[in-house]
This record gives sequence, structure tokens and C-alpha cells, in this order.
Amino acid sequence: MLAAADVSFAYARRGAPDHRVLDAVSLTVRRGSVVGLLGPNGSGKTTFLRILAGVLTPQSGQVTIDGRPIADMGRRELARRVAVVPQETHSAFDFSVMDMVLMGRYPHLGTFELEGPDDQAIARDALAATGTSALAARAFATLSGGEKQRVVIAGALAQASDALLLDEPTAALDLGYQLEITALLRRLNQERGTTMIVSTHDLNLAAALCEEVVLLKQGRVVAQGGTEATLTAEHVKLLYEVDADVQFHPLAGHLTVVPLARTR
Amino acid sequence: MAAVPKNVAAIAVAVLIAAFTAGSPEGLRYDDTLARRSALVAQPFRAAPTDVPPRRIISLIPATTEMLFAMGAGDRVAGASNYDRYPPEAARLPKLGGLLDPDIERVIALKPDLVIVYDTQVDLKKQLERARIPIFPYVHRGLADITQTMRALGARVGAKAAADAAATRIEQQLAAVGARVAGRARPKTLLVFGREQGTLRHVNASGGYGFLHDVLEIAGGADVLGDLRKQSVDMSTEMILTRAPEVIIELHYSGEMKPEAFEAERRVWDAMPSVPAVKTGRIYLLDGQEFVVPGPRIVVAAERFARALHPEAFR
Amino acid sequence: MPARVEAIGGVNRRPVRQRLLWTVAGFGTLALAACLLAPLVGSTRISLAAVFDRSIPYGENIDAQIFFVARLPRVLAAALVGSALALAGVVFQALLRNPLASPDTLGVSAGAALGAMMAITFGLDFSLLGISAVPLASFAGSMGALAIVYGLSTARRRGTSAVVLLLGGVTVHALLSAVIAFVQYLADFTQTFRNVRWLMGSLDVASYAPIVAALVPLFVAWAGFATLPRVLDLISVGSESAAARGVNIERTERVALVSASLATGAAVSLAGPVSFVGIIVPHLVRLIVGADHRLVLPASALFGGAFLIGCDLVARTIVAPLELPVGIVTAIIGGPVFLWLLFRRM
Repeated sequence: MLAAADVSFAYARRGAPDHRVLDAVSLTVRRGSVVGLLGPNGSGKTTFLRILAGVLTPQSGQVTIDGRPIADMGRRELARRVAVVPQETHSAFDFSVMDMVLMGRYPHLGTFELEGPDDQAIARDALAATGTSALAARAFATLSGGEKQRVVIAGALAQASDALLLDEPTAALDLGYQLEITALLRRLNQERGTTMIVSTHDLNLAAALCEEVVLLKQGRVVAQGGTEATLTAEHVKLLYEVDADVQFHPLAGHLTVVPLARTR
Repeated sequence: MAAVPKNVAAIAVAVLIAAFTAGSPEGLRYDDTLARRSALVAQPFRAAPTDVPPRRIISLIPATTEMLFAMGAGDRVAGASNYDRYPPEAARLPKLGGLLDPDIERVIALKPDLVIVYDTQVDLKKQLERARIPIFPYVHRGLADITQTMRALGARVGAKAAADAAATRIEQQLAAVGARVAGRARPKTLLVFGREQGTLRHVNASGGYGFLHDVLEIAGGADVLGDLRKQSVDMSTEMILTRAPEVIIELHYSGEMKPEAFEAERRVWDAMPSVPAVKTGRIYLLDGQEFVVPGPRIVVAAERFARALHPEAFR
Repeated sequence: MPARVEAIGGVNRRPVRQRLLWTVAGFGTLALAACLLAPLVGSTRISLAAVFDRSIPYGENIDAQIFFVARLPRVLAAALVGSALALAGVVFQALLRNPLASPDTLGVSAGAALGAMMAITFGLDFSLLGISAVPLASFAGSMGALAIVYGLSTARRRGTSAVVLLLGGVTVHALLSAVIAFVQYLADFTQTFRNVRWLMGSLDVASYAPIVAALVPLFVAWAGFATLPRVLDLISVGSESAAARGVNIERTERVALVSASLATGAAVSLAGPVSFVGIIVPHLVRLIVGADHRLVLPASALFGGAFLIGCDLVARTIVAPLELPVGIVTAIIGGPVFLWLLFRRM
């Protein structure tokens, strides 16, 4: 459904050669799949997500959705196809949970159009899907980390897009909330068939959630494929310079990665 | 154009500030007790030998500079303020600052044997005391202080006879002005000290207290804000309309306003046609330094007010 | 912080369309009442019948003159200035992602003050279409400040960002304040007196020309504000999230900055700096209608006008026949209210 072909991106720097962040990255994401983007800090994961969301323009290569280049789409049209869940959300003002979720309807409305009953219904569905209906009148800023992230996901769901891009969705959460969000995302994918691209450091999250992984190092794709086949100890060593034990965990039902020691 | 009003008009607020700060503990009522008490105020800060008249006098106040010249002691003045312009000899004296920025070092360097300072120039007074230089503190609240100060200053500088004569002359001339307009109905007068050019915003007017108010009374006018007993008042348009002055006198202080400017500023008042002064056209713009220096030329101010208020008395 | 978003009338349970209607109706009534009643009240009693009595020629009709020359321009000026400052406050707070921001934060009002002070100190004497030098120079000063802030913040290739904007604006404000101090140092006593009086703010405009003149930049500002409400919501939750939802961040920030600066410049050159309106009104409005900018913007415009009309009413009646500068009244009311708001947040 979504394909990136030879996408390259560099930040211009004054008095120094441009800093290449992405180098000819290509990947394909099938509709309804959950793909993980893995890589160390500085590997270009976040930049790539921002390009997929249309926030940045690549210097070369293109991204297409269902064959159509996103460069040809208007901002709102792209937002109707792709929604973003950032790592953390801070609001400067006291918006309610409902306010936050309704903001996801923006790409579907005209400049001066107000949300109608349909939009309200979609928002309420999104809250229900993320188990946050009871929080609708609460102030967003007073929620716990897990609750906040669920509300943000609800906002992305309300955007009614074909795909969700998640940037480190559990990085700011404690263990309990990590499990909660992982379970929620899995359920959304299974029940609604939402396509997801998850950028993360957390190899166990990737193992639990993603059926495919793309490994990035220094802006290049070093491996991609099914999780079982690609998330191996050699690849972990390649990406992170860490010796790790990668095993299928029968109780968890998926691969687990246990880091052991740095290799130098 | 900017420099001229700067130099002269500065005195206005300097005097107002000095008068206001000096007078405020007593409240804002002007009556005879102040006039009687002010004779005590003109005491030198440090007792000085009265048999040796000072020969190098520094006067940081334009009013006292003019007084010294009027009593024939002008040749003994060694330095003056930045704002002294009258008489012409005073304009040529070394300029030593003003109320807020006296050049203390230069004052001391000139080796004066008497320095006339504003009573509120506390720092300067302390420094002169330390340098053992005698001072004469200048206090000013109302019209009577002008002649009181002249007499006290005359005694202090050894020109008593001349000073007394000059002071008496001033009193007689003021009385003469008063006599000329005596018995005539006093028009309600708005005495405007300043406002924004070209508009009626930020009108600042006499509030019934101070030497200009006193001069207005002598000249046969009734201060329309006389009941407020304040040095100056920011007037709103509503106040002006309600008080309905019969005469408006607007003061300017450069001495150099052009006739076209007069006309333009007069027309600004046409926005309030119900005000009697506007209806009868009795709006007078008076331009001169005498309104801002409470010294011997106050008589000129009084005459100009009287001519504006009672033109029939001067035909 | 209250756990439930406290808002009148179960606000969050109703759709925004309804809430908008109620908000505009409620605050609109308040503003209209203020505009209609305020000219009738003052330190002098006037009779409404006499004001509109055609049989008395205008030149003789004191009541009519008090109404049309002294009070009505004042009320209109208060409505415009209060509304403009409140709107600018809302927009600056969203633009800078900071509820403590105000129209003064980025130096636009410092620019206006500098313009006015230079006109007073250097005796500038010109007028254009009936508007005198001080308000003209003041507006020019505010636009100069805007130009500097705008230039500073767009110099970086990736467009405005809240932090760069804030830093640039605060620097401009500090710089301009230093220049203002220098200009005041050069001023003589009468000019200083006039400067100080101007800085206290005054709504007593006494004529309609300055009000009409202020409407010109205000119309442009209002046109800008009209496009902003929803995008300000989205931006205040995060620039990247907003961009990913289809908002043109750069254009939005530019429109917000220019509109809010035009409104501030017009207000300050009309009435001088009036403190606290730009901070207090948005906060009070948010307490009542919530944080949705589609409600906060119109409500702030209406409430800001009503608020300043009220403050001016107090300023001109409480020590009658004298008057307090309106900036003092807004500070006396605004200061404690602001402290209370801060206290509430903690």
C-alpha cells in the first residue's frame, strides 16, 4: 500500500558537507501489515517517518501510497491517508480528551467547517476502540502516560487514515503501559486491519507487534523481512554492536531479545 | 525647534516639581500661613559670616539668577543652570546642569562662596556641605515666595537695599495689575499648561494651586478647577465640557511660536463648540519664558493674563 | 489543576456548533450592553433625552457634546483596544505555546512605545489625514519591531519555530526598552512628563478620526485572525502533529505573527500601552468556554472590549472629577486576577 523508492535525505550544513541522514532507502508496506523500523540513534528512523508523513521532502526518491506519489497530494489529502502518533504529546492549553480526539477530524473538514454529528460519532468510536470513553470530559493534561498515549492513538484513529505511523510509541511509558499499548495496537490491527509502521528502539516491542522489520543503520537499509527471519542475534550485533540472545519465548508467544554485552 | 522649548520649558516642570515636593507635606491648601512660614525657609544650610558678602555666586535656578541680576548682583554670578537665558548676560555664564543633573564637580571647581540650590537637591547639598561651601536652599510654593526669596537673597548676598526695592517694585506692579481689573467680573478660566499638539489629548491644566494660579487670580480670573487645589490636573474632555470655561489660556514656553502655529492650535478647540470660550472665541495662546520662571518677570506674565482676561481694562 | 475541565453548562458534552452559538450570544450581549450603557454613565449626569433632542442646536447642547465628544469615542476606543489586545494575547499565547505570553512579549508594544517617545522627545510635528504625529510614529514603531522579529525568526531555513520566535522577540523587546530609556534620558522635563503620561495609557481620544484610522490595520488583522482558530488548536498540541494533520505551519505562524502584531500596534498607537488585558482576558475566557480557539477567539474579542469599557468606566468615575489612567485600573484588577489564576494552576 505504501512504498518508498530510493528515498534520500540530507540536512544542509553551513561550511561542511551535507549531513546525509537517509541513503537510498526503499521499502514496501502491504495493506494491513505491521512493519517495524529498527535502528540505533541517528540511523534516520525519525527522519524517514517524517518523510512518510509529508513533513519533510526527500532530496531524491519518492514515496507512493497506492501508487500515487505523496508529493502530488495536498496536505489534507495525505493526512487522510496517513496519521502520526508521536512519542509524547504536550499541550500548552487545557484541552479535554474529546477536544484532542476531535482534532483528528481536521483533514476531513473545510477551513471554516465545524465538526458535525458524524465527526462526533467517529470520535466516540475511536475513544471506545482505545478504551478511553470514560475519560472524554477529562483534561488531557491530567491523564497518566498510558492514558495520554491511548487518547493520542484515538485521535489518530479519528483521523480515519489508511495507515498509522508511530514514533517510539512506548518509549515514554512504564512497563505496565508499554504492555497496554502493545496489546491495544495489536488489537487495532487485528480488528480494523490498520496498517502500521512503528519506529522503535524497543526490540521486544518490535518482536511482539511487528510481522516485518526493516533495519536501518546510518541511513541505509541493512536488512528487511519477516520478523522471525530478520530479527537475529547477528543483525542485533550489526545494528547496536551488542551481543544478545534472541529466543522465541513460549509464554510471551513471540521472539524476545536479551542484551548481554557490548562488543567493541 | 526641539532645542528651544527644551531649554526653556524645562524650567516649568522643574519649578513645578520643586514647588510640589516642597509643598506637599502641608497638603495642598494655599493660604497665608504658608506665605508667613516661607520667610523661615530661606535659611542657609550652614551659617555663613554675614559681614562678607559672597563674590562668586552660583545659581542653579533661573529664577534666582534673574533675581540676582535684578538686584544689581549680576556681576557676582559665576555660574548658572543650563536653562538660564535672561538677561542675556546670564545666557553667557558657564552652564552647570539643572534640577536633575547638576554638574557637582564643576560647581565645586569654580570655587564659589555661595551656591543657590533647589531644596530637593539632597545629594548636591551634602556634597557642598562636605566641601564647606555655603548654600542657599531655594523653595518655591506660591506667588508670595518670589518676593520673599528676593528679600532673603538680597540680605544674604549683601544687596539688601536693592533687593528690597526690587521686591517692592514687583509687589507694587502686581498690585497695579490687580487694581486695573478690580471690580470686574471674573471669568471662569481654564489655564492650560500643555497638551498633545494638534489634538485635545492629555490636556494638563492648572488645578487651583501654585504661582501661575496665583497670578491668574491677581489678573482677575477665576480658575475653573480652583476647587481641586492641585498643582496640575490631567483633564478629560468630559471635565472641560462640564466645567465650561469662559476663557481658555494656553501657555507655551519657547518664546518662539509662529502665528500659523497659533491659529492651528486654536482651531483644535472647535471640537467642543458648547464651551463658552470656544463660542466667543476667547482662546488665548500665550508664549513666553515668563510663565515658567517665577522671578521678576512674573509681572509680565500677570499683565499678559490681565490683557487676555479683561481687554477692556487696557484700552 | 482541576480533574474535570470545568466549564459552564456541561460544555464538553455539547457539539462545538452549539457552544459557539452560545458563546457568541452570551459574550456578544455583554459587549453590546457595555457599548450601549457606558456612554450614559460618567462623572457628570447627562440626560439621554437631551442628547438626542434635535431642537437644541448642537453648539449649545452640552449633554450631546459630552455624549458624542467625550464619551462615545472613548467607549468605542475602549471596545476596539480591549478587543484587539485580547485577540493578540490569545494568538501570541498559541503562537509561542505559552499561556503566559502577552502582546508585549515579542516587543511589538515596545516598538510602539519607542515610536511615540521619539515623536514626543524630538518634537516631530506632522499630521496625516487628521492623525497627529504621536500615534503615527507609534504605529510605525510597532511595525518596525515586527519587521525585526519577523526577519529574525524566518532567517532560519526551516521557518519560524516557537523557541526561535520567542528568543528573537524577547531580545527585540529588551533592545527596544534600552533605546526607550536612552530616548527618555535625552528628553527634557516637559517631554518626560508627556512621555510618562503617554505610557500610562488614555482612551480619551475626543474624536473619531484616530478610531477610523486604527480600523485600517485592525481589519487586516481580523482577516488574518479569521483563518486561525482551528489551526491554533492543532499547533498548540505540537507543530509536527499539526503538520502531519495537514496544517501549513509556516504560513500559519506568519499569519498569526503579523495579525497579532497589527492588532497590538493599532491598539497601542491609539491608546498607549494598556497592561494586562492581553493576558487576563484569554485566561478568563478559557475558564468559561474551554481551550478550543474557535470559541476562545471570538469570546476574547467580545469580552476584551467589554472588560476595557468597564475598566475605563471605573477609571473615569472612581475619583471624579479627576480620572485615573486606564492602565492603572487594568493593572489593579489584572494583577490580583493573574495571581489568582497562577495560584489555581498550582
